[in-house]
Amino acid sequence: MLVITRKPDQSIVIGGEVEVIVLGITKEGVRLGIKAPRSVQVHRREVFEAIAAENKAATEARTPVQDAAALLRAAQVRKPRVR
Amino acid sequence: MTTTDDGILLTFPKGLLGFPQLTTFRLFEPRDGYPLKFLQSVESPEIAFTCLDPAGIQEDYAVPLGDEDAEALGLEVPEDALILTLVVIPEDPRRMTTNLAGPLVVNVKTRVGFQIALNAEKYPLRFPILPQD
Repeated sequence: MLVITRKPDQSIVIGGEVEVIVLGITKEGVRLGIKAPRSVQVHRREVFEAIAAENKAATEARTPVQDAAALLRAAQVRKPRVR
Repeated sequence: MTTTDDGILLTFPKGLLGFPQLTTFRLFEPRDGYPLKFLQSVESPEIAFTCLDPAGIQEDYAVPLGDEDAEALGLEVPEDALILTLVVIPEDPRRMTTNLAGPLVVNVKTRVGFQIALNAEKYPLRFPILPQD
């Protein structure tokens, strides 16, 4: 692991195209700005951990899958919007 | 893609999140409009994920695939992408959810796929599949 000290307004560059800038330091934490091409996805680590936990849960049906399938078939399928 | 009793063999070179060691799966798509599909690990057959085609529950769900992801998958046209979302079935199956934040995207021509992470504020991690009271 590279350990490095940076002050506000200083930055590091990763792979020539991703720049991480220290915007400020408060009691709550360090505020970072990330400049990256649109093709590079930037996520909080917690997102990956949450998805990993849901993946694990998807391997462990707590009730017979047939019951779930029967409910799904019977249901008026909901069509809400995400955005 | 046609389903046989052996399922469709899919490769996830990076595994799934939390399961990096599982790279080969059989996708079982029961016939007759059965609403769920199953993704069974070839390496660890005791591990199987319940999943579905999210188009059936959310018609405007579109996965914003980055150029890098599309390139890594060798996707030339969007029609070659199979999208699956994993399903969590709790004790009360009426509360089952599907994970719209971590869809699986598979190139049906090469049968290679990745799980991608989306903005969980916009794409719910636990989207209720059935109408909730």
